[in-house]
Amino acid sequence: MPRTDTPGISAHLALAGVRFAYRRAGQPPHVVLDGADMTVPRGAFALLTGPSGAGKSTLLRLFCRLEEPDEGRVTLAGRSVDELPPALLRRRVCYLQQTPTVVPGSVRENLLLPFTFKSAAGQPPPDNAELARRLDQLAAGDIPLDQEAATLSVGQRQRLCLARALLTRPEVLLLDEPVSALDADSARAVMDAAESFCLDDGGTVLLVSHAEFRPARVAPLPFHLSQGILAWTPAS
Amino acid sequence: MDAGVIDIPTWRLALALVFSLVAGGCSIALKLGLGRDILIGTVRTFVQLFLMGWVLGIVFAIDSPWLVLPVFLLMAAAAAQTARARVKESAVAFAWPMYLGMTAVYLLVTTTVTGAIVHAQPWWKPQYFLPIGGMILGNSMNSVAVALDRLFSDMRARAAAVEMKLCLGADPAEASADIVRDAVRAGMIPSINSMMAVGLVSLPGMMTGQILGGSDPTQAIRYQIVVMLMIVGATALGSTLLTLIIRRRCFGPGDRPLLR
Repeated sequence: MPRTDTPGISAHLALAGVRFAYRRAGQPPHVVLDGADMTVPRGAFALLTGPSGAGKSTLLRLFCRLEEPDEGRVTLAGRSVDELPPALLRRRVCYLQQTPTVVPGSVRENLLLPFTFKSAAGQPPPDNAELARRLDQLAAGDIPLDQEAATLSVGQRQRLCLARALLTRPEVLLLDEPVSALDADSARAVMDAAESFCLDDGGTVLLVSHAEFRPARVAPLPFHLSQGILAWTPAS
Repeated sequence: MDAGVIDIPTWRLALALVFSLVAGGCSIALKLGLGRDILIGTVRTFVQLFLMGWVLGIVFAIDSPWLVLPVFLLMAAAAAQTARARVKESAVAFAWPMYLGMTAVYLLVTTTVTGAIVHAQPWWKPQYFLPIGGMILGNSMNSVAVALDRLFSDMRARAAAVEMKLCLGADPAEASADIVRDAVRAGMIPSINSMMAVGLVSLPGMMTGQILGGSDPTQAIRYQIVVMLMIVGATALGSTLLTLIIRRRCFGPGDRPLLR
């Protein structure tokens, strides 16, 4: 039986004995996590792999309370995630959806969206120079801030969404197959930004990848999820 | 007052069935499959209205608030049940908030109209309170059903955007503000549109009834104006209040969206 946690380190993100099943009327529960343990230290780049439908996205969503476990404990820096107000938890632990979602309006309006919410009170919105710098970091500096976000390609939208998430300065980025629908250039830009978040800003990354994927500049902490069993796979 | 009313004897009332037969004929000719509904609808029209006429006769004769209010509450329950049945959503429990919200809003509006505008003495005078309350309920239950149907369908259709905003630190109200706005607007538009057409396209029911009953048309229009405005007010209040209350029920523990 492989280990399911990384021993001897204090956790930034952790699961302890987590069980989660999807339930549909008239059908037996579909168990996707069966007593899962996981420890991800602060500043680590964790990589979660596994077959389609294994529950990788569900695992990410547990950390920002978009799903609730049937059993077990989900923690952020030692505190159970359900002890934190949901909006403040999600400012600290930012989940980036697999399909990039934008609201009607310009690129600028989309980037500033998180700063219109009450949870951003006291956090000054970034100026145009900061917005441009973030886009540039994601090789999207050529996108005018006044362009309608709905007119962007999928790759540009994904970079816009990641830039928007980074502008809120979260502690943790949960990335759900962020490059699966992207061309090679967009994919590289997104991965570079995720690695920089980890290396330069000290943030923690938990990235789900369906395909075989390796970050270029950080040594990932590898996990594998299959048939309800979450395993730490340092040798792979 | 009813000196100008021409009685409709039973045989001539039965003659009105010819219109149901026309509707049934259209259904048969065009294979619309509505024959059964037309038949049931016709029977229900006769039964329900005769029953209501009988009940109102008793209520008017007894003339007690302890009878008027229960009748009003029953009418509100029937309106809430009708609106509930039109909204196809099973993942969110909303029957009780819907009934309580509709009853509270329409009791408030009806009381305001009979007490402050019409100046009925007393304010619960059944000849005023029940017909006016009935008009408010009948018109507003449609707006509530439209608003809630739109709320639920948009919460599902725009689930990715709701989730995205939650992930960026929005609370449920912020994440669904545009959906709530669209739902309330959809609920209010029909009553606003009817204000545009009234008097030009249609002579509404209450005014028509008063004119047929021999009232001065200039007095009848005053009542009709009050009715139109109270319906718009009740529609706005009902749609807004119920959409806001029931929106909260679309989110579970941890502000997790339940409709996806």
